[in-house]
Amino acid sequence: MANNRQKMYLRMVTSSLVRRASRLIIAVLAVAIGATILSGLVTIYYDIPRQLGREFRSYGANLLLLPKGDARISRADLKTVREVLGDDRVVGMAPYRYQTVKINEQPYIIAGTDLPEAKKNSPFWYVEGEWGSASRPDHVMVGREIANTLNLSIGDSFKVLGVRFGHAAEASAQDLSAQQNRVRDEGEQNFSARLVVCGIVTTGGAEEGFIFADVDMLDELVGDRFRGDVVECSVVAGAEEMEALTAQLESALPGIQPRAVRRLTQSQDIVLGKLQSLVLLVTVVVLIITMISVSTTMMAMVAERRREIALKKALGAENRFVIGELLGEGVLLGVIGSAAGVFLGFEFATRVSLNVFGRAINFPWPVVPVTIVVFVAITVLASVLPVRKVMDIHPAIVLRGE
Amino acid sequence: MFWRMILRTLVRQKSKMLMIAFTVVLGVSLSTAMMNVMLGVGDKVNRELKVYGANITVRHKEAALMNDLYGLSEGLGVTDKFLYEDDVLKLKSIFWGFNIIDFAPLLDGRATVKGREVPLVGTWVERHAVLNTGEEVHTGLRSLRNWWQQGFVGDWLGEHDDDFVMAGSLAAQRLGLKVGDTLTLAHGGRQKRVTVKGIFTDGGAADEQLLGTLKMVQELMGLPGKVSKIEVSALTTPDNDLARKAAQDPRSLSPDEYETWYCTAYVSAICHQIQEVVRDGVARPVRQVAESEGTILNKTTLLMVLITILSSIGSALAISNLITASVIERSQELGLLKALGAHNWQIALLVLVEVMLTGLAGGVFGYALGIGFAQIVGQTVFGSYIEIAQMVIVIVAVILFFVTLLGSVPAIRYLMNLKPTEVLHGK
Repeated sequence: MANNRQKMYLRMVTSSLVRRASRLIIAVLAVAIGATILSGLVTIYYDIPRQLGREFRSYGANLLLLPKGDARISRADLKTVREVLGDDRVVGMAPYRYQTVKINEQPYIIAGTDLPEAKKNSPFWYVEGEWGSASRPDHVMVGREIANTLNLSIGDSFKVLGVRFGHAAEASAQDLSAQQNRVRDEGEQNFSARLVVCGIVTTGGAEEGFIFADVDMLDELVGDRFRGDVVECSVVAGAEEMEALTAQLESALPGIQPRAVRRLTQSQDIVLGKLQSLVLLVTVVVLIITMISVSTTMMAMVAERRREIALKKALGAENRFVIGELLGEGVLLGVIGSAAGVFLGFEFATRVSLNVFGRAINFPWPVVPVTIVVFVAITVLASVLPVRKVMDIHPAIVLRGE
Repeated sequence: MFWRMILRTLVRQKSKMLMIAFTVVLGVSLSTAMMNVMLGVGDKVNRELKVYGANITVRHKEAALMNDLYGLSEGLGVTDKFLYEDDVLKLKSIFWGFNIIDFAPLLDGRATVKGREVPLVGTWVERHAVLNTGEEVHTGLRSLRNWWQQGFVGDWLGEHDDDFVMAGSLAAQRLGLKVGDTLTLAHGGRQKRVTVKGIFTDGGAADEQLLGTLKMVQELMGLPGKVSKIEVSALTTPDNDLARKAAQDPRSLSPDEYETWYCTAYVSAICHQIQEVVRDGVARPVRQVAESEGTILNKTTLLMVLITILSSIGSALAISNLITASVIERSQELGLLKALGAHNWQIALLVLVEVMLTGLAGGVFGYALGIGFAQIVGQTVFGSYIEIAQMVIVIVAVILFFVTLLGSVPAIRYLMNLKPTEVLHGK
């Protein structure tokens, strides 16, 4: 008996849906639109800080590591730093070694660094020509100021002189001849190298007064192992996270003084906060409006079924049974529509992320059940509310057509 | 007769028409709000990005950046090239003067305090001025150093605080200074007693500096009316190919291109115009700020555009969906009309006009509501009003027209195939 009732119930629910195929499509479409917008926007909202946080890294290094006292930073230190910061957080980490050299008897500074990392750190550098690389160590980039002063253009070569590691510079004595001075300059304690300009760096900042070379080449020239004067890191982190990270770094590496670039970390927090609240507010407005319009559509669909319901009542169906049937329909519609919507919403969020940020999006899985539950609730409420009134009305009055 | 029928439907079918109108209101308000926000967001975010400080610096054309690197610039007579303080306010008079949000001149100096050499910088921390155009200008370094706000001790210098200085955190530590302490600045035989008004933390080189008013530092250094550089924060348009070409050499542009470039707020165009008013000045974009601003701005705008498109499509579908639903619902009434001898086109016209009228009414309300939503977003997020773009009316009206039309198409096709007897029989 109970089995028969259940069968009948299922048949009524499904046949009511199948018979009214066109209306069904409309209802499912309404729910699907709503679910697409909900899941798409919520996904974007959750992923925005991560995505935009990375975009803010275009402002360059936001963490500097300085050696304490006379110590220098070693390669092992760099490894530890990377471990502490976490690989996925680090956008770029470029160690710098500064070396004074002479070009045409004038002092200049060569900054030895890991050039690919420096490029990741400072996407705002405008490099005419090409970036240097470790595979062509004698090709270096020069700052715009130096290029102007020395009248260098791409492809030109110039000679640098410098003092080897562990030697002191000897001043040219007045009583020596030019020949003797040259011998001294090219002697044991000095190095000299011919470098080729492969790029000219324009930044509008102090970088324009440097020559940028591969750090290994510079180490070899100077004749010792790597000694970093400063490490520039570009790390995806807000101001608070950054404070925690610097504290961690300080305890892990006692010889190093980490300093967050306050100008970048704090400004980023301000702007990112604004952008996030913008997206939040927009999401809330869009969602409220979408929810309301989905439920009005559903209500309109159900209101037209007054006659059918009245007929069922006239045939002896109890209120409970009628409402049960409507509930079943609502749940079915809600599940089908929102399942399709979640899929479309994810598709949309992925497209947005690829287009705007050029990266895949992280899909927050809890969105799936939440969306489905929300829309099942909406369809059920929208189905049951308008019919409640019908329940109290006498079937005959409705059937007569009033 | 036609209009009477329409009027009757609108009145009798009040609740259904209200429902359509309501959905139209919601959809239109959503699209209106999103489009206005989308169009206004670039400007707003651009202003927010000003917290990163200056994106243009102006220096003397012979004062090369390299002097900074070796710390040779101050006091040794290496750079005795300066800009003139008189020129600073002229910045607001350039073509894009309105886009210049903040600016401050800086004079690098050096003073001996308690036997130590300390870098001393003179600037306008705050400055009010009235230009000869009658425009009031309120500017200064304070708005260019937003990141000093956190951890700031004491008070910022006022416009006429010539007897006060602000100290960087490291300088204060080294000299043992607290807020309220007095100290004597000495340079080249001149002396000045000043009081520490505030202590700031920069996280960079400025932490080692003392900061005074421009007038005080000029007097102490013996450089009246001179400044070393000007920092400018301007609202700019992200660079495109034209701007990059112009940045290389404005003379390489054709007259038409030159005009477009000059009249667009590219950072290179603004720099070019600044150079026209500042004697001996070379204005250069700080690429770290200028370039990154462009990146963030483009991404945010694109994001908003996509969200707007999604929500507009969503509301368009919702409206047309509801229209289809409500027309199909009225099949009985329309079947009766058909049975009474109405032509298909007459019924179609009837339905269309009804829906359009409802849509129009809903659209007007929706537009007003949408403007309201946009302002709520503007006020809550950015604390300022979002400018209303007139073209949104046109866009929304066109979309709404086609949406109602499209929404009615399946319903009308359904009506065409309607057999009056079947409908009236109640199937």
